[in-house]
Amino acid sequence: MRSEVILVTNNTELYSSVSDQKFTVNQKIKGLRLVEGTSLDVLKAVRGAVHLGARLLTHPLCGNLRPYQQPFRSVLIEERVEERETPCEHFDMDSVSMIESAVTIYQDCCDRIVKPQDLCEAVRKDYAFVDSELMRESLARYGVFLSDSMF
Amino acid sequence: MRLELHRVFVKRVTFGDKTGITDGVLTVNKKELLELISEDELLGKNLDVDIALPGDSVRIIPVKDVIEPRWKIEGSGQVFPGVLSDVETVGEGKTLVLSGSAVVTAGKIVRFQEGIIDMSGPGAEFTPYSKTCNVVLLLEPARADMDKHDYEQACRMAGLKTAAYLARSCAASGAKADKVEIYNHANIKEAMWGHPGLPKVGYLYMLQTQGLLHDTYLYGVDVKKILPTVLSPLEVMDGAIVSGNCVSACDKNSTYVHQNNPVIANMLKRHGRDFNFVTCIVTNENVTLADKRRSSSYATKLAAMLGLDGVVITEEGFGNPDADLIMNCWKAERLGIKTALLTDEYAGQDGASQSLADSCVEGDACVTAGNANELIVLPPMKKVLGVPEEANVIAGGWQGSLAADGTITVELQAITGATSELGYTKLGAFTI
Repeated sequence: MRSEVILVTNNTELYSSVSDQKFTVNQKIKGLRLVEGTSLDVLKAVRGAVHLGARLLTHPLCGNLRPYQQPFRSVLIEERVEERETPCEHFDMDSVSMIESAVTIYQDCCDRIVKPQDLCEAVRKDYAFVDSELMRESLARYGVFLSDSMF
Repeated sequence: MRLELHRVFVKRVTFGDKTGITDGVLTVNKKELLELISEDELLGKNLDVDIALPGDSVRIIPVKDVIEPRWKIEGSGQVFPGVLSDVETVGEGKTLVLSGSAVVTAGKIVRFQEGIIDMSGPGAEFTPYSKTCNVVLLLEPARADMDKHDYEQACRMAGLKTAAYLARSCAASGAKADKVEIYNHANIKEAMWGHPGLPKVGYLYMLQTQGLLHDTYLYGVDVKKILPTVLSPLEVMDGAIVSGNCVSACDKNSTYVHQNNPVIANMLKRHGRDFNFVTCIVTNENVTLADKRRSSSYATKLAAMLGLDGVVITEEGFGNPDADLIMNCWKAERLGIKTALLTDEYAGQDGASQSLADSCVEGDACVTAGNANELIVLPPMKKVLGVPEEANVIAGGWQGSLAADGTITVELQAITGATSELGYTKLGAFTI
């Protein structure tokens, strides 16, 4: 069954950096989904895809910051092309469990979630940078190599 | 393996003409040290070295790493192998340790992922580095727009070079140990036959490896690229593990904490009495789920192959790494290996929130190093080494954390080493 790797993110810097690249044959990432909203909105978008049969490729929680502290979230998923729009019969239950748990954790602190626009430019860029850094290795696995000086 | 730690106790640090130690006073030739770290073209021209002693009214901010000065005086290899020295195996022979001193690197890299050390006042009670005589490196990049990875590496190398330089200089001037600690660790063959009747226990040592700037190095190898492997606890004491991390300050496992890992120290102490400490298994904390699954399966497989009855598991960081911790836990338990976990908590300022991002029913023996969200007020200090305004952007602080009079209100998350997940902290629980 044909599948595609999709990057779901609200990090516009990362989105631009990846979308600027030419999609080569070796590059397995075929889609980019920019979520205009908070980190929780990204997870909800991922949850929607998982409930339609997508599989998580990276863990939905951010590393080393409380969920509400990191305004950006980026997740790689694998979607089966045929089932993108309609529910499939076989869900990846590990992915369902992980994304549901992550959404619950974010919702528990939703009143404290920092929005990108809440931050001054320098601090916002630092958070965007770290979000991108933590995706760098994962993106490379799927043939997308970020330049060292993307910011 | 046999390693002797030749501890020279440092009671004070001062600047002077010749770097060396006499009667517990570590003298540092500031000019010589500055020349040493200035060799790196990636560092700027305005580098400085200062001293912060226990009880001083001094605040260091933003702190990147802390390193203990050590130098091998006998045996193969040299400290920080593969990073500062050649790649030869360490962990045997004699190593000079300047106990009670530390090198602190300070400089803005990833601004919200650095920390605060107060040498006195209430904040000092939460960081172990308020009790060390600190040689503080105040660093800056050669150019403002320098790549962050290059700058991180330059800061890391400056700290390691300084730590080695201080201990090497003391060794060269004939410093004699105040105390010699002898550590022995059996090979696997002897460990298998040794101490019949005692459970065979290992240490599953998780290292932060989520990506560039969140990395740890083993013999100079980026740990995110390894399969889990076995390591003698004595190698760790010689700096086989080096921190390259820019993660939250409270539970960043600094290079100092790796060198002085209290889990290893206590397991060696109880070896042969309460259990048979067979080996360390080093594993990583990567970002992709495939890596998490591969590493947790492989690390627990190694534990099973060694016939371990139990493992102590420590993690670094939280959130995403909690998933690795929990995978290691249930996979080991389902292989019949008992687990004890060491972590810290992010339970909110009121302590009422879910404190770990993941959990499993098998994780029924868990030790906490404290709640990183606990609030603390740090009164002003007479002297600040670094940039106090960073308190407003460090994780655990917020815009307004720094008051006009220099008072800082932050969560413990902002204090370097406050909730160390290797247990190198003053927080703890005691049975009374």
